[in-house]
Amino acid sequence: MAKLQVNLKVNGDEHDLLIEPRKTLLAVLRDTIGLTGTKEGCSTGDCGACTVIVDGKAVTSCMVLGVTASGKEITTIEGLASDGELHPVQQAFIDTGGYQCGFCTPGFIMASKVLLDEDPNRSEEEFRHALGGNICRCTGYTKILEAVLKAAEEVRTTA
Amino acid sequence: MKNFEFFEPTTLAEASRLFAQEHTLLLAGGTDIVIGMKALTETPQSVISLQKIPGLAGITTESDGSISVGAMAKVREVELSADIQQHHTALAEGAAEIGSIQIRNLATIGGNIAHASPAADTVAGLLVADAQVDIASADGERSVPIDELFTGPGQTVLAPGEIITRFRLPAPASGSHYIKHKIREVMDLAFIGVAASVSLDNGVITNARIGLAAVAPTPIRATEAENLLNGNELTPELLAQAGEAAAAGASPISDLRCSAEHRSEMVDVLTRRTVQTAVDRA
Amino acid sequence: MSEHTVVGRKVARVDAVEKVTGAAQYGADVHPPGMLYGKIVRSKHAHANIRGIDTSEAEKLPGVKAIITQDDVPSGRRVFATDKVLYLGEPLAAVAATDPDVAEEAAELIKIDYEVLPVVQDVMEAIKDSAPRLQGDDTKDGPNRREITTQIRRLSRDKENDHSDEISKLEAELENYPDEVYYNISAESHSDAGDVEKGFAECDVVVEDTYVIPRVHQTYMEPHVSVASADSSGKVTVWASTQGPFAIRSGIAGTLGIPLTQINVIGTTMGGGFGGRFGVIITHVPAVLLSQKTGRAVRVQMTREEEFTDGRPAPGCVIKLKTGATNDGRILARQALAFWDSGSVSGASIGSTIRVRGVYKIPNLKVDAYGVHTNKSGTAAYRAPGAPQAIFAGESQLDEIAKRIGMDPVKFRLMNMREEGDAVPAGASEPKVGYKETLEAVADAAGWWDREAGENQGWGVAVGDWTNGCGPGGVYVSVHEDGSARIFHGSMDITGTDTAISQIIAEILTVPYESVTIRRGDTDSAPYSTGSGGSVVTFTMGNTAKLAAEDAHQRILELASERLNMNVDNLELKDGAVHVISADPPKSISLGELAAYSLSTTGGPIVGKGAFARQPSTPALAAQIAKVEVDPETGRTRVLKLVASQDVGFAINPMAVEGQIEGGTVQGYAWAMMEEMQYGENGNINPGFVDYRVPTSADLPTVESVIVEVPAPNGPYGAKGVGEPPITPTLATMANAVNDAIGVRITELPIKPEKVVDALKSNGH
Repeated sequence: MAKLQVNLKVNGDEHDLLIEPRKTLLAVLRDTIGLTGTKEGCSTGDCGACTVIVDGKAVTSCMVLGVTASGKEITTIEGLASDGELHPVQQAFIDTGGYQCGFCTPGFIMASKVLLDEDPNRSEEEFRHALGGNICRCTGYTKILEAVLKAAEEVRTTA
Repeated sequence: MKNFEFFEPTTLAEASRLFAQEHTLLLAGGTDIVIGMKALTETPQSVISLQKIPGLAGITTESDGSISVGAMAKVREVELSADIQQHHTALAEGAAEIGSIQIRNLATIGGNIAHASPAADTVAGLLVADAQVDIASADGERSVPIDELFTGPGQTVLAPGEIITRFRLPAPASGSHYIKHKIREVMDLAFIGVAASVSLDNGVITNARIGLAAVAPTPIRATEAENLLNGNELTPELLAQAGEAAAAGASPISDLRCSAEHRSEMVDVLTRRTVQTAVDRA
Repeated sequence: MSEHTVVGRKVARVDAVEKVTGAAQYGADVHPPGMLYGKIVRSKHAHANIRGIDTSEAEKLPGVKAIITQDDVPSGRRVFATDKVLYLGEPLAAVAATDPDVAEEAAELIKIDYEVLPVVQDVMEAIKDSAPRLQGDDTKDGPNRREITTQIRRLSRDKENDHSDEISKLEAELENYPDEVYYNISAESHSDAGDVEKGFAECDVVVEDTYVIPRVHQTYMEPHVSVASADSSGKVTVWASTQGPFAIRSGIAGTLGIPLTQINVIGTTMGGGFGGRFGVIITHVPAVLLSQKTGRAVRVQMTREEEFTDGRPAPGCVIKLKTGATNDGRILARQALAFWDSGSVSGASIGSTIRVRGVYKIPNLKVDAYGVHTNKSGTAAYRAPGAPQAIFAGESQLDEIAKRIGMDPVKFRLMNMREEGDAVPAGASEPKVGYKETLEAVADAAGWWDREAGENQGWGVAVGDWTNGCGPGGVYVSVHEDGSARIFHGSMDITGTDTAISQIIAEILTVPYESVTIRRGDTDSAPYSTGSGGSVVTFTMGNTAKLAAEDAHQRILELASERLNMNVDNLELKDGAVHVISADPPKSISLGELAAYSLSTTGGPIVGKGAFARQPSTPALAAQIAKVEVDPETGRTRVLKLVASQDVGFAINPMAVEGQIEGGTVQGYAWAMMEEMQYGENGNINPGFVDYRVPTSADLPTVESVIVEVPAPNGPYGAKGVGEPPITPTLATMANAVNDAIGVRITELPIKPEKVVDALKSNGH
C-alpha cells in the first residue's frame, strides 16, 4: 500500500513525512519523529497515557491515524516547557509528589494543561471527573489532584 | 493493523461512491474503527475519511426551535452545546457519558450511531428526542426516524454507499434525563442506559418518550411504559407501573458485565428515576 | 522537632524534571540503530495439543527477519510451548521484523494446528475428579483425610504392636471424606498451632464463611518490554523494564546457557511494577533469542491485551474460614482451608494463607492451603503477595463476630491485638510493634468515635500487617572537589527510593540534598543490588547507603585530621565542612577543599563503600477506615471518606510515604470494588481496560493518610518498608463498610452492583 505524504507541526517544528496510513499519530510521534515522551499504555484509548494536544484539544493519540493529523498543530509533553521554564502544571506535579513511576504523567500533564487553559476555576470534583480518561496506578490520584489544584491556583493568580 | 488504502474525499458524492465498494470503512472520529482495526476485527481494504467534506459538522438551532446536529459534530460539542443541554438534556447527558474528554474530542455523534452498538450512550437521548436521521448517497438523500435506523447489533438500514449526514431534533419536549448503569464513574460502557423525556400539560404528562440502551439487540423505545404515562399525572404508583412495563419490554442478554435479570431490574429502577427527573425538569 | 536536617523532610524527587518533561527513558523508548520489532505468537486456545506449527507463509512476508520456536532454544529450557498449551495466550513462537505491524501480520500468518482439549478455569472445579488433569495426576488429601492417613501411617510404622483393627477403622473413616481427594494440586502448605477443635468448643460464637477473591492484574501502566542486542562476540545487552536487573541477568544466563558476565542488563525507568516485573521469560528471553538469530537489536513489547492473557497476575483464591470467640470478645480459634488458583505454574501465594491470623492473639490456629492448576497463565507477586486475599477473609469475619457479640469493631480489634512479647500463632514472639497505635491513629483521624451515618451509609474498618524483606546491596559514594556527593548503585528506583537514598547520604555527609546526585549502573558496572520488590529498597539500600556514607565520613575526618593537624576526636563534620570542636576562633575546612586535597594524598579520593545483605525488619500495620454510601436499588457504592494510617517506622520522605499509602489503598479499593480477571470457556474474556476496570480519579475522594512511626531497630533511621502494607486491609475495609451501610455481607469480590442488589434481595429487601 502506498505511503502518504503528511505535514505534521509538532511543538512548533514542521515534519514532512512519508507514512503508511495504518500508523497512528502515537506511532508517528514515537517511532518516526522520535518524540518518546508520549506513552503507550493500552493502545485502545482507555488509559490516556498517549494524550497529546491537537489544535488545542486533548486527544488520545493512539486512536488517531497519523494521516488525519496532517496540517494540524500538535503539542506533546516535550513541547510544554518554554525556554527551560516548566509549565505550572509540571512544576506542581513535582511540588506535590503528583507522580510516582511517571509513565502516566505526560498524559496527565497534557490533559490537565488543556483543562487549565479552558477553565482553571473547576472544583476538585470537576477536575476528578474531567481527568477520568487518564489512569494512574501508583498514586491513588490524591497527589495528582493536589498538583492540578495547585497549578489551577497558580494559573488563576498569574492570569 | 493491516494496511489499507486511505481516501480523503472532499464531496459526499465521492465519499459515497468509494464507500459503495466492498471492504471499505468510513472514518469519522476513528475511535471505534481504529481500535477495531488494531484488534483485527476490522480489516478493510480502504478507509474513507469524512473529515475533509464540508458541511457535515456543526450544531445549529433553527428558527422553529429544532436543532440540527451534523454527523461529524464531536461528541464533546454535543455534550457542551448550550441548546442541546437546555432542550435535549438527555442527549447532552448521554454524550457526556462516553469515554473520556480525550475520546469525546475525537468521536463523532454520527460515528457513535452508525456503529450501531446497542449500548451507545447518545442513542437513548436521540430516541427520546425523536430524531430524524438524514442519509445521503451518490443516488440522493433520504431521512429515517431514529427508531427505524437499527436492525441488529452493528446493523442498520444503511445501504452500501449511504452515509449519515445529520440528525434533526424537532422542537423539544420540555424535560428529559439520561442515566447509565455502570460501575466506574467515567470510562465505563453502559450496562444499560435509560433516557426519558416528557412534556407536561397542567401536570398531565404528554409526549412521554423512553429510550433504552443495551437491553435488546437494538436500542428500543419502552412504548408500553410511555402509553401508561401519557395522559396521566405522575404518582408513585404510576411511576412503579411504568418502570415495570419498561422492564417487561426489555429483552436483555447476560454477558461478562452482568446478568439479563440484573439488566431488567435496572431498567425498572432507572426508568422510574429518569421519568421522575424528566417530569421535575419539565 | 527532628534532630535530622534532610531525612524526615518532604523533598522533591531526584528524577523530578525528567519525569514531568517526557525525558525519562522507559523500555519502549530505547531504539538502537537498525532495531527490529519482535512479536510473540500466542495460543488461541486455553488447552490444546499442538500438532504442528507452520511458519512458511509468515517467512515469505517482506520485512520478516526471523521466526523462532522452541527448536531455536539451544539450551532446551522451555521458552515456547511445543506439544501442548495450557492457557490462552501461551507463547508458541516469536517473529522479528522491520516494522511492528509487519511483525504482527507475520504472527497472524503462522498456522498452528490445535487439537482442542477440555478446559478447567475454576479452582473448585479443578480439584474435582471430573476435571481434566492438567499437569500429571497430582492428588492430595484434604485436612480430615490428611489427619487420618497420618494416623494410619504412624500406626503402620509400629511393628511391635498389632493395630490392624484401629487401622481398618481409620480406613473406613476415610470413606467419609470422598470430597477430600483433591486433583490438580500444584503445592500445599499446612500449619497448626494449639488445638482448634478444643478452641472452638470453648467459644460462644463461631462464624464460618467462604470467601472468594478474584485474580487481579498488577496493571503497571507500562506493559512489559525489552530490547536486546547480541553482538558477534556473543555479548548480550538487554534494556529491560524490570524490578530486578540482576535477577534478569541470572535468569537469562540460566535459561539460555550464556555466561553471566556475557550479559549486561540495563534497567530502564520502570513504569510501575508492584511485584509483577521480575519475570525473565516473558519478553527478555525471546528478545535475546531473536537478536542472536538476526544479529540486530530487537524490541519485544507486550500489548495491554497480552499483559492480561500472558502477564503474571495475582492469584485468586477461595478461602473457607471459621473463627470462634467468647461473648466477652476473646478470639479463641480460627481455621482456614484455602485453594489458590496458581494457573499453569505451581505455587501462587499459598504460604500467605497463614496471614489469616492477623495481628491477634489467637491461641488455636489451623491452616491448610493448596495451590491448584487451572488453564490460566501462571501468577506472580502483587504488592504484599497473598496478604490482601487472606486478610480480606480474616478481617471480614472479625467484623461479623464483633457484630454478633455486640462489640465495637475497633475496640474488638484493639482488645485482641498482640503487643511486644506476645506469642505469634504458628510463629515466634512479637517484637516491638505499633499495631494498637496505628489502629487508634486511624480511628481518631477518621472521627470513628463520633461517627455519623445517614441512610444507606456505613463505616468499615480493617487492618493488615506485613513485614518488609531485605536483600543484598552495594553502594559507593564519592565526594567531589566542589563539595558535592555522588552515589552509585544498582537497584531500580521504585517510585522514590533513589530520593530516600540521596537523603540519607546528604544527612550523613551534612550537605544539602540538592548537592547529592545518584547514578544507577547496569549489571556490568554496578555492585550487586537487590531487586526492587518486597518493600526492600529503602530498608536495604538505605542501610547500605548509610554504611557507604559512614565509610566516606571516616575518610573525610582522616583527611581533615591530616590537613588541620588535629586529632580526629577533636573534629566533627557539620554543614558540609569539618570543624575543630570548640575552636576559638572557629576553624574548619570544607568538604570541597578536602576532596581536592584528597587527590594528592596517599589514601586517595573520598570513596565510601557500603555492602549489606540481611537484617530482619519488624512488622508494619496498615489500618483503614472507609465511609460509604450504597444505593440499594442500583447496588452502586460511593466512597465518601477513605482514611489510611500506617506504621512506617520512620518516614524518610513523608511525601513519598504518603504517596505509597494513598496508592496502595486505592489498589486495595479497586480489588474490592471493581477489578477481576474474568474467564470463559476459552480463557480470559476481559483483556483490556474496558471490562477490566481500574478506578479513575472520578471514583474516589482524597485518601487521607496518617503516618505512624514506631521505629524498626534495624531500619535506616528506624524506617520500615512502606510499599506493600497499604493494600492489605482495604478489601475488607470496603466489605465491612458496605455491610455497615446496608446489612449485607459480600464474601465474593468484587463488590459489583449486581451482587449487592442480589444480596439485598436474599436478605428480604
